[in-house]
Amino acid sequence: MAEQKPSQNRLPEGGNRVLDHLELAAVMGRDFAASLDIEDSLRRAVEHITRHLDAAGGALFLLDESGDHLRCHACFGATEITGLVLKSDEGIVGRCVQTNCAEMVRDVTRDRDFQKSVDEQTGYTTRSILCAPMSVKDRRIGAIELINKLGGDGTFSDADLHLLQALSSVAALAVINARMAEALVEQERLRRELELAAEIQRSLLPRRRPESFPVHGAYHPARIVSGDFYDFFPLDDGRICFNLGDVSGKGLNAALLMAKTASLYRCLGKTVHEPGRLLALLNGEICETATRGMFVTMVGGVYDPETGIVRLANAGHEPPLFHDRQGDFTPLPAEAPPLGILSLPAADGDFPETELRLDGGTLYVFTDGVTEGYADDGAPLEVEGLKALIRKNDSLTLAGRVDAVISCLKQGAEALRDDVTMLAIEDRRKGGNG
Amino acid sequence: MIHRIKDENGVTVVAFEGDVDLESSPEARRILLDCLGRTSSLLVDLSAVTYIDSSGIASLVESFQNARKAGRHFALVAVSGSVLSVLRLSRLDKVFTIYDTLEDGLARAG
Repeated sequence: MAEQKPSQNRLPEGGNRVLDHLELAAVMGRDFAASLDIEDSLRRAVEHITRHLDAAGGALFLLDESGDHLRCHACFGATEITGLVLKSDEGIVGRCVQTNCAEMVRDVTRDRDFQKSVDEQTGYTTRSILCAPMSVKDRRIGAIELINKLGGDGTFSDADLHLLQALSSVAALAVINARMAEALVEQERLRRELELAAEIQRSLLPRRRPESFPVHGAYHPARIVSGDFYDFFPLDDGRICFNLGDVSGKGLNAALLMAKTASLYRCLGKTVHEPGRLLALLNGEICETATRGMFVTMVGGVYDPETGIVRLANAGHEPPLFHDRQGDFTPLPAEAPPLGILSLPAADGDFPETELRLDGGTLYVFTDGVTEGYADDGAPLEVEGLKALIRKNDSLTLAGRVDAVISCLKQGAEALRDDVTMLAIEDRRKGGNG
Repeated sequence: MIHRIKDENGVTVVAFEGDVDLESSPEARRILLDCLGRTSSLLVDLSAVTYIDSSGIASLVESFQNARKAGRHFALVAVSGSVLSVLRLSRLDKVFTIYDTLEDGLARAG
């Protein structure tokens, strides 16, 4: 496409004048669309407008974020006032923004809102002003002001006023578009940061163990970052320390509390082998820095693969399900409230513990995202659905059964509303049917 | 979620209606904390709450914690079945003061 020269060098006459105006609007629009630098485009727009309307000078003011001040972002001609800041109702330009009406002031000395101080600073004498608000519907952006008509009788005409109004609208739209584009870039930057946070979160999860390992976990976040977590690691005596938790709420605040809780557990879990004691210590730590009522529901425990015995404590978490070797399910309800709510005095001791003999069975610990999720047939899974799903996949390995539950929810017709996380412990001793 | 606030002889009663979830819980939080700043006794009527998620519970927990620190009375009243089962399952029924009916709550709060 051939580049067209702006129209300022041509003399508009008669019917050509309308075409000329349209051409200017088109040049400005094209300039805004092609430019990556909005400030630069605004400077060129002010130049085009000032020349086209045959004014001695032009200036473009934008409201700041608070809407309290107007700042000159671009000017052309008689005076250089870029950077000048006025109160949003100061001067004729302020009045124009406040009333959202274009104005023509033929003799500024008769207008009480005229700010003499600007002329005093620049040494230039303003006689007449033409000013139009930059706004789209009720959204006010700023205004464009022209001073001192050069040609004709030295005063602006109604036609000038209408043209400035039209051109100000074009500029206002361009500013709004540029701001939206900026917001998109910022959104993209935040998304990348969230993805980095998600990567760190994933690094807090335990590494995948061989099939022979009796504990397996899986999770799938509903958003980029998650408030769910699980972990398991072998202790020196051969037992396995495990946990699974769910932080209230979602998003970055939940993810940060998740990171704190998971790290504390991993650190304390290496030396404190009594789950009730460990949860009490964690509770104290989380209560010390708890904000906004955030809390953590958690199941923490120790499994001894030699004896098949699990000792666990449940702080306000969805009841884990024990699937025994006969095929029956037993829920293990919480016996204490979630962590981070009530700081209990040391005298009140540890969180209550439950001892469970797996005896050839499997223990499933999961977040409410599992039971409140939607299965691949579109129906809410609920506890009964989860039991049926586990039964259905009974012939699969431990990892296969856990992964089957997660993928069933992932493929549900409804988008995941909550993170889904599951951990399972299987009795692998000879004589057990696991 | 919609809410109503009324004064019963110096006891402020906030009643929520509908879902208190991730979307509406910031508003529930603001309403509760705002009320706690103006009253010495706050009852939260949850009889018409159809669903509450963990972010909604967190709003109640924060109000409970603030009330405790400030020495104010804070209780839940007429808790709907679905909310009560969440509170029971997570053993939060041990944390909050809960009255079966608004009348019970008012009688004990006065």
